[in-house]
Amino acid sequence: MAVLLLLSVALLTLYFRESESGLAHGVQAGVLRVVAPLQSGTARVTKPFRDAWNWVGDLFSAKSQNKALKREVERLQSGLAKELTTQAENEQLRGLLDLQGDRIFPDGVRLVTARVVARSTSAWYSTVTIDVGSGDGIGVYDPVVNGAGLVGRVTKVNANAAQVMLVTDQQSYVDAMVEPGGAQGIVGGSVTGDVTLGYVDKNEKVKVGQYVVSSGRSGSVFVRGIPIGVVESVGSQEVELYQTIAIRPFVDFRKLDFVQVVVR
Amino acid sequence: MRLSRRAPETQKLEWPTWQEIAKLGVALLVATLLQTTVAPHLRLLGAYPDFALIIVVSVALVKGSEYGAVFGFLTGMFTAIALLEPFGLSAFVFVLVGFIAGRYAETADLSAGFAPILTVFAATLLANVLFATAQFLLAREVPFGFFFARVLLPSLVLNTLLAAPLYVLVRIWLRGAGDLRVARAR
Repeated sequence: MAVLLLLSVALLTLYFRESESGLAHGVQAGVLRVVAPLQSGTARVTKPFRDAWNWVGDLFSAKSQNKALKREVERLQSGLAKELTTQAENEQLRGLLDLQGDRIFPDGVRLVTARVVARSTSAWYSTVTIDVGSGDGIGVYDPVVNGAGLVGRVTKVNANAAQVMLVTDQQSYVDAMVEPGGAQGIVGGSVTGDVTLGYVDKNEKVKVGQYVVSSGRSGSVFVRGIPIGVVESVGSQEVELYQTIAIRPFVDFRKLDFVQVVVR
Repeated sequence: MRLSRRAPETQKLEWPTWQEIAKLGVALLVATLLQTTVAPHLRLLGAYPDFALIIVVSVALVKGSEYGAVFGFLTGMFTAIALLEPFGLSAFVFVLVGFIAGRYAETADLSAGFAPILTVFAATLLANVLFATAQFLLAREVPFGFFFARVLLPSLVLNTLLAAPLYVLVRIWLRGAGDLRVARAR
């Protein structure tokens, strides 16, 4: 047992100290080449069961969701008239600026679709493994999205798999802004899974229900305008420089099956 | 339940047969795939089932401490590799859990039906405390209230509930259904 314990500590030390092309990473890549297809196969086989399980779970939460959605519809209906007016103006301005209509991603960007094949069940990490890697052009820091919005970013890449750190991870940071208004801040995750928008100046006016999108500032790994979530609560204290803003992400992180990697 | 009985002095570790290695290999693969692809979708009572830990404990209870330690090491390595996580940490924790569970099986009377349940409960407690300590040492946020109420307690309840059926399955897989009938007849 002592030998195995020492070996574990040695491997852990080696893994953290060596480069991405080191021995431990090489072993990981080699073994993963065999394991990844098995994970992908298991994910496919178990999908109907997972869907059934989720369906049962959704039945319990449907009632409370229904109430929340009714409130959301009322709020959106009241804002619709105003939105239609600004939309006409917006289209004219887009034409003047020669922007790309309803496309978020700029030219030269490619979206690579991937299946989520594994996920950490540890409370301390919010990561998933996807079945595309460097062989598909994926690189570290590439943003990952799905139909609802921003999922996270690539943190490790292998030949045929990649690890994605979710927006909810406590070490995830995304430069973001509130729309409309343009108040800038940093979206961060936490160990509890709560997502907050930090570093927003107290003088900025942020309201509940406003949308938070990636700001795509110069040097950012994220392109501008990827939806992240909606402002759920806003608070500030006398002694603090910034506001405390809680966000409800658009992405349902418990039900990630397919994602798209934004490759530049 | 007697805790004082020592393992026979003459008992030596025998090299496993090819059949045993194959069975343990399948158990290892199933543990890894269950933990990384199935468990994340089975959130129950606020926790995810820890199939890998329960299978390591079950193998250790059936096969003994040496097998438990080696199986724990390999399970820890494989789950870390499958999740692209730094390997070594899970292996370290599972070696300890596998060895201690195996030693318990060698020195205690396992005829009591609740022995696997009790062992999984203790193993879950040990593993969670070790993982949380490691996160603290890695300078990650580890709030005690969150750890106790949202990580440890739900995991203890869920893993304890899953202990008996998984232990029975592992035992049947490694020793055959006949062994279980003999144990019941005693």
